[in-house]
Amino acid sequence: MDDKVLTADEVVGELSDGMTIGIGGWGSRRKPMALVRAILRSDLKDLTLVSYGGPDVGLLMAAGRVKRVVCGFVSLDSIPLEPHFRRGRQEGTIELTELDEGMLYWGLLAAAHRLPFLPIRAGLRSDVMRVNPELRTVRSPYPDDEEFVAMPALKLDAALIHLNRADARGNGQYLGPDPYFDDLFCLAAEKRYLSCERLVPTEELTGPPQSLLVNRMMVDAVVHTPNGAHFTSCVPDYGRDEDFQREYTQTPWPEFHAKYLAGSEADYQAAIA
Amino acid sequence: MAELVGLAEGIAALVHDGDTVSLEGFTHLIPVAAGHEIIRQRRRDLTLARMTPDIVYDQMIGAGCARRLIFAWGGNPGVGSLHRLRDAVENDWPAPLEIEEHSHAGMANRYTAGASGLPFAVLRGYTGTDLVRHTSSLATVTCPFTGEVLTAVPALNPDVAVIHAQRADRKGNVQLWGLAGVQKEAVLAAKRCLVTVEEIVEELDARPNAVVLPSWVITAVAVVPGGAKPSYAQGYYDRDNLYYRRWDAISRDRDTFTGWLADELGS
Repeated sequence: MDDKVLTADEVVGELSDGMTIGIGGWGSRRKPMALVRAILRSDLKDLTLVSYGGPDVGLLMAAGRVKRVVCGFVSLDSIPLEPHFRRGRQEGTIELTELDEGMLYWGLLAAAHRLPFLPIRAGLRSDVMRVNPELRTVRSPYPDDEEFVAMPALKLDAALIHLNRADARGNGQYLGPDPYFDDLFCLAAEKRYLSCERLVPTEELTGPPQSLLVNRMMVDAVVHTPNGAHFTSCVPDYGRDEDFQREYTQTPWPEFHAKYLAGSEADYQAAIA
Repeated sequence: MAELVGLAEGIAALVHDGDTVSLEGFTHLIPVAAGHEIIRQRRRDLTLARMTPDIVYDQMIGAGCARRLIFAWGGNPGVGSLHRLRDAVENDWPAPLEIEEHSHAGMANRYTAGASGLPFAVLRGYTGTDLVRHTSSLATVTCPFTGEVLTAVPALNPDVAVIHAQRADRKGNVQLWGLAGVQKEAVLAAKRCLVTVEEIVEELDARPNAVVLPSWVITAVAVVPGGAKPSYAQGYYDRDNLYYRRWDAISRDRDTFTGWLADELGS
């Protein structure tokens, strides 16, 4: 398929209640925020989010769309604690699968490799085993007989990621310093949605081949969302909007929602301009 | 931190009789000159590991360096069998050679486990093949969630990894690009490593798809221009396909081979 371009609302139309959705990026960095805002405009609910969490998790929790969070952390980087995640945990409004970051990576890798689990040392002799009683261990079949956590595959119904550049076929490029785990989110998911700062012809995807993080086999739809990671960073196109992030953490949710999120993406971009 | 050495000095210091040695490179960047130096220094009883043993391992086996071979595919690419490997396995000439055969994915997983500090790796390979009967190092792990029985392969941590790369800087940081095999994994899994390079440069420029192995994972670097011939080094020289074809005739016959050893390597 040569043209996979959809609107953010069309993407959300392909999602359904109760889905397990992986969200790329890391903390408050290169998050597919325009897609998250489109979910906020929909009626989607009871979502399980798998994320190196940031304001993606916070916004969806504040809006009451989340049943469970699977994460190693939820943080805004420059503001260590995500306020809505913190409140949700304190009030017990969500279920939590709390993992070591390496375990989350291994779970996505297992799903990407179509394996049911992968062995990992992280998590052993920590409270991770106590708070996740469904976890199991395996033993090395060799004479060392070492015990490992069996990290189950984190299979995703859908993945949402945001990259700097993409073409209409779903080839995507990051230009910043870190790929995070966006390729694994796509490889672990049934449906893969890529939003991008700039939609370009394929021949303009120049640069180091390894910057081409995802290819068209790993992507089902592409969404053109300029400034779509706002207020998280999308280096080198823009950095994090620290003033806005501070306002987000300090403004009561109904007020914040009414001011920025009650309208369309265009309204949002106009409000922050 | 990596030390800059001569090739003979590096092999003498790092490769010892009885070691498990991986010369890695996948069609491209095969460390042939280093293999020849191992022959010249008459190393014995080596366990040779490699994903795709080709003519340099044929030469080392024919010269009597190896006691054992851990491998996936073995052959003279695009030409045919490795006749010295066959002669060793079939007729114990010049010495008996034990073989441990894996799949490519299995070997890659073994190096990756070794590089990761894990004792084993889990994959779906081997199932339904005769390798399960012939390769005693294979094991199984049962998934505690699904009950599925998966293949386990043990980590491979060579005593020495030897690779060839395009460039290093004076600090011993190594850069290689083009078609890469499991050189990075082999180096990270090995206790010691020697990297032969086409040249030393003052500064490693940023290159697309270039693997940079930092100095602190490398034991020694030796400058050996042409050190991958008759394989190729992207950006430096092409593959000498005629040499691979000629090797078939040289290697078929013990006398021709020993003549080649004497003429080419003085060995």
